[in-house]
Amino acid sequence: MQVKILGTMLPGPSYNLAGVLMTTRTQRFVFFGVAILVVGLGTGMVASYVGLPNLGILAGNGPVELAYIPSDATAVAYADVREIMDSGVRQKLLKLSPDADSGADEFEAETGINIQTDVDRLVAAVTGTPDPKNARPLLLARGRFDTARIEAAIRAKGGTVEQYNRQRLITFENSLGLSFVEPDLALVGEPSAVKRAIDTKAAGRQNITENQNVMRLVREFDGGNAWAVAHVEAVMSGNVIPAEVKQQLPPVTWFAISGRVDDGIHATVRAETRDEAAANNLRDVIRGIVGLARLQAGQHPELAEVVNSLELGGTGTTVSLGFTVPPAVIDILGAMRAKQPRPSEAALLQVLPLPGL
Amino acid sequence: MAKSLSPVAGAARIFDLSLGELIWSRRTIFMALVVGAPVVLSIVVRIVQASGIAPLRVNGVSVDAVSVFGMIIWVLFLRFIVPVLGVFYGTSLIADEVEDKTITYLFTRPLRRGAVLLGKYLAYLACTTLVVLPSVMVVYFMLVPFRDVARSFPALLTDLGLLAAGIAAYGAVFTLVGAWLKRPLVVGLVFVFGWEQFAMLMPGYLRRFTVAYYLQSLVPHAMPADQSVSSLLQSVFAETPSAPLSLAVLLAITLISLGLAMRVIERREYVLEQ
Repeated sequence: MQVKILGTMLPGPSYNLAGVLMTTRTQRFVFFGVAILVVGLGTGMVASYVGLPNLGILAGNGPVELAYIPSDATAVAYADVREIMDSGVRQKLLKLSPDADSGADEFEAETGINIQTDVDRLVAAVTGTPDPKNARPLLLARGRFDTARIEAAIRAKGGTVEQYNRQRLITFENSLGLSFVEPDLALVGEPSAVKRAIDTKAAGRQNITENQNVMRLVREFDGGNAWAVAHVEAVMSGNVIPAEVKQQLPPVTWFAISGRVDDGIHATVRAETRDEAAANNLRDVIRGIVGLARLQAGQHPELAEVVNSLELGGTGTTVSLGFTVPPAVIDILGAMRAKQPRPSEAALLQVLPLPGL
Repeated sequence: MAKSLSPVAGAARIFDLSLGELIWSRRTIFMALVVGAPVVLSIVVRIVQASGIAPLRVNGVSVDAVSVFGMIIWVLFLRFIVPVLGVFYGTSLIADEVEDKTITYLFTRPLRRGAVLLGKYLAYLACTTLVVLPSVMVVYFMLVPFRDVARSFPALLTDLGLLAAGIAAYGAVFTLVGAWLKRPLVVGLVFVFGWEQFAMLMPGYLRRFTVAYYLQSLVPHAMPADQSVSSLLQSVFAETPSAPLSLAVLLAITLISLGLAMRVIERREYVLEQ
């Protein structure tokens, strides 16, 4: 390369204005800086125009069972039953109250499915207008089922079996429907709700994953083994909540709770209000309650850890409250319960005179 | 006699020469420390967040990641990093050449003196934006969860734009100071940490004679509401110009300062101390 020297004075080499002046390391520096900017801006633009959650790489779309739930569901809940059953919290609760699983026993008596041993995870949903007379939610249980034994048991009690949309649907007294839509997935609920779930999956569209309001909240449940989302306005439009109570409730549109149950409980409750003013009011109310709880915690130091873990957050129309119940507090609660005097057998017999005694 | 380069070509050659000098100068260590601090802070905040503790609470309410990022832009970048880099780099563009007695080498090239200054100013712009903006980008992605990127990305673009505008405006002002005055660094520091702080707290129109006033009006985040007297006073006298007016004034500050600096350097005789 021919080097021309401009001017008359012979300066040091860096002041020679001919040829390429930028060194390789300067070029690398510029390239590195520009690369960070380009990658960052590119990621942000993809997130803005495509939506990172839609890529399905960086954010999940909830459990696959959601494909069975119609898009107009007003409440959806999920629990990793296996993790919760094996958790330290449940073991402690079982020690404290051995009959705590009576609800699961009733479910087993009705459906033949043992939640403790057969089910790995559970998804529940409420579809249509909520009605206390028709309170059975749609349950989707993923696990290991002896389908032949369960079907035989229900048929023995008077249940019937029909084919519906290529699935075997077992119905009992027109109040319970059960279908093993996949070898390891059982749908349990009102027969009409089970049929609709089968149709939703078969159609491959109009399921809850297309409901952006629900999915926006679901995608934010990072690492929890249990969560629930409810469209409060839809729930309140039904007959579930008495009118007097409705008037006292804050104008919340969406309610969500997510948490992790292991040796302790870590949970976040989140509410979305109609406007920022309502959110600010709700925040003020919760702040007052938290303050009161902190005052009370002075008299009950054993609960101070829970109270101190209360974390009020959220911006705009969102209000959130996080809390942690550490293992030590569960032990303390257990000890407190154990100290409570149990009614004597004689006193029980006086209150509940058994026939024949 | 060598053929004289056109102003644009001359400025491009000086830019090419000065960029490496600026990047690999001792000031870069200072810049790395200043710009690295928010990155380190964001890593600490991220670790604290991951452990389930709210890194920042205001009145018992935990501040979300997007607001923490907004606070870093306000407090660290806008109020400190951008003006300080403007002072340290802007005032040194010509003053260093005078101090090192190397300005003769540049002025004896077949270039307009104004082109030398323009080239150096462009090198300053490239150097600082290539350090500050990537740093902001890293802080953003460290702090803001992926799920909030779509919502907060437009604000990030505004932040990047206003920081670039701040770097350009402060740089131009202090390039003028560097070309004009003999002790430019002292004057620059007094301007940034004295005059601007004082004027922003005063009621009336004194604040209109600062760069910060026009930059602050472009910030997409809410002003952090701490309990310090200065924040309290500033919120009491909060009055912000419109975004188009702020942009126009910042552009005018940059162009006028740069034009004046070029005029000063064309006319001034630099006496090198022996």
